[in-house]
Amino acid sequence: MFSHYIDLSWRSFKRTPLVSLLMVIAIGVGIGITMTSLSVYHMMSMDPIPEKSDKLFAVQLQSMDEGESWWSPDSMPYQLTYRDTENLLNADLPFKRAALMKTGFSVHLNSDKVKPFLEQTRVASRDAFDMFNLPFINGGVWSKEQESSAAPVAVISQSISKKLFGTSNSVGETFYLDDLSVRVVGVIEDWKLHIKYFDLNNGSFNKPEHIFIPFSLIKANEIDTWGNTNGWKHEPVKVFNDKLQSEKFWLQFWVELNNASEKRVFEAYLENYIAEEKKAGRFTREKAEYKLRDVNQWISYWEVVNEDNKIMVALSFMFLAVCLANILGLLLAKFLRRAPEVGVRRALGASKKQVFFQHIVEVGMLGLFGGVIGIIVAQVGLFGIRQSLSYYDALANMDISMLMTAPLIAISACIIAGLYPAWLVCNTTPATYLKTQ
Amino acid sequence: MLKMNNISKMYQTEMVQTHALRDFNLNVEEGEFIAVTGPSGSGKTTFLNIAGMLEPFTGGEYLLDGIDVGKLNDNQRADLRNQKIGFIFQGFNLIPDLNLYENVEVPLRYRGIKAAERKRRIEQCLEQVGLASRAKHLPQQLSGGQQQRVAIARALAGEPRFLLADEPTGNLDSLMARQVMELLEQINRDGATIIMVTHDAELARRAPRNIQVVDGQLADFTLYQGNPNMVVGA
Repeated sequence: MFSHYIDLSWRSFKRTPLVSLLMVIAIGVGIGITMTSLSVYHMMSMDPIPEKSDKLFAVQLQSMDEGESWWSPDSMPYQLTYRDTENLLNADLPFKRAALMKTGFSVHLNSDKVKPFLEQTRVASRDAFDMFNLPFINGGVWSKEQESSAAPVAVISQSISKKLFGTSNSVGETFYLDDLSVRVVGVIEDWKLHIKYFDLNNGSFNKPEHIFIPFSLIKANEIDTWGNTNGWKHEPVKVFNDKLQSEKFWLQFWVELNNASEKRVFEAYLENYIAEEKKAGRFTREKAEYKLRDVNQWISYWEVVNEDNKIMVALSFMFLAVCLANILGLLLAKFLRRAPEVGVRRALGASKKQVFFQHIVEVGMLGLFGGVIGIIVAQVGLFGIRQSLSYYDALANMDISMLMTAPLIAISACIIAGLYPAWLVCNTTPATYLKTQ
Repeated sequence: MLKMNNISKMYQTEMVQTHALRDFNLNVEEGEFIAVTGPSGSGKTTFLNIAGMLEPFTGGEYLLDGIDVGKLNDNQRADLRNQKIGFIFQGFNLIPDLNLYENVEVPLRYRGIKAAERKRRIEQCLEQVGLASRAKHLPQQLSGGQQQRVAIARALAGEPRFLLADEPTGNLDSLMARQVMELLEQINRDGATIIMVTHDAELARRAPRNIQVVDGQLADFTLYQGNPNMVVGA
């Protein structure tokens, strides 16, 4: 019977093509607008590393003096000082840890083969690749020895490798970061990330870096940050070492803790570390304060998806509701015009339930067509957003779940709009129309 | 086969109560051909709608093949209507989007009959009304008389024991009306019970039993042919 209802629906569309087209366009535009904002919202709020987001923790330490406050929700600094970062990185602990900093260089080959270009670079400790699931295509991460000796090596992305060397296997090749000659030890796939969760301090939706160099190069080569440096007290910084020894916050630190007991061990270490630093005149607050937030807590803490985004989604759904109200009116007119035919069908043995489902299938089909139009409208909308700001490149996209959701929302919305007209038409008294047809 | 005891039907608006049927009593036996006559507004069509379970009645008892119709829900009434009753309307009431084959198929689909059996019955019924060659035509491509024959084929397809015809010749010229009447008589001879509402006295006289509805009541009846024991009137 379902296929028969589909056949009847198709005939109904052909019988009133203009009204049907109007309804499909109305639902298509409504769904398109809704899916545009919902897709951006979905990408913004999506777990960027679902396989281990509950195991990766951003570390925050309260190293400011008593009475000093920060602009974070709990007054904890978002980043760490170099001293703390280095100490936590070098601590004798069995956990993977990633010390990170955003920087950048003029990248060139010291030849006329490739035009020099400015490129953001991520300074990272070697565990970062494993922690953040960065897959190598060729080579691998630098060795512990290379890291401790501040060897001028780099891991680069496939696209940078192709740009510099014309191949994705550039292991062993050398290139320049400003005046520093670095050797490629590994090539990774391009890191596609819609939320740059590991460094929200420097733009939540900025693109991840394509060049990675060892953390130890910061000190050895006096590499400064391209990100934010925040201070809370006056500290004269005359030479780079002053910054390294200062209480300024400019580095990110992550730790991978696989279970609650590992977390307890690391927390105990932090308490002990703060106590030791206190003896050295730092961490002057009475109570040791630190925070470990997993990826999703970290994103939420930073309010990556803010109220504006939620309001935008709500508004788009309201627009969809307006479209549905129009569709409801058109459906009422269309279905009630068909009441005489329904009367005949009822006289010939159709139950109210059968008539109801026949009309629900018809509005469901309308929803399906509207959903397809909606996807096209949404793609145009998302394209427009991407064109307006490169910031949205990774965000203004429909993933497979959104592509599947669009027709489902369209069908559900149309069925909701069609419930009343279908109920009304199936409850008409057939006898009223049989004589007057 | 059909028994109505003190059936009443009242339409009520805020200002007025209208009794379309009052204390309506009728017994119809299997195989009868009854013509229902009466002035306009007398309740003939209301009676036919109640007999076809297209309208609820306000009071009384209606038994169809011993089944108390008043106690059935909508689905049960639809099933019973589909299995036992065929309708023929004055305006033919064919569905314009469907060709003749598909129009005749409508009641069979609601009965859940399989495609092969549907095909057999449709072809047989269209053959019976002489329109087998027009199966793929749309209703608007036929004359009025042909459309009514399709409506008859549709009513017959479900092999109903009971045919309700509401002025089946009302929209036809006299020649076509006679042809349709002959078809109905043939169907009756084949075993179907027929109740036909008509304004046409000549056609009514051709029915073995006439009943007259006046002011919502069975006012009189006349037996033209057949067994007087079959007739119960009020």
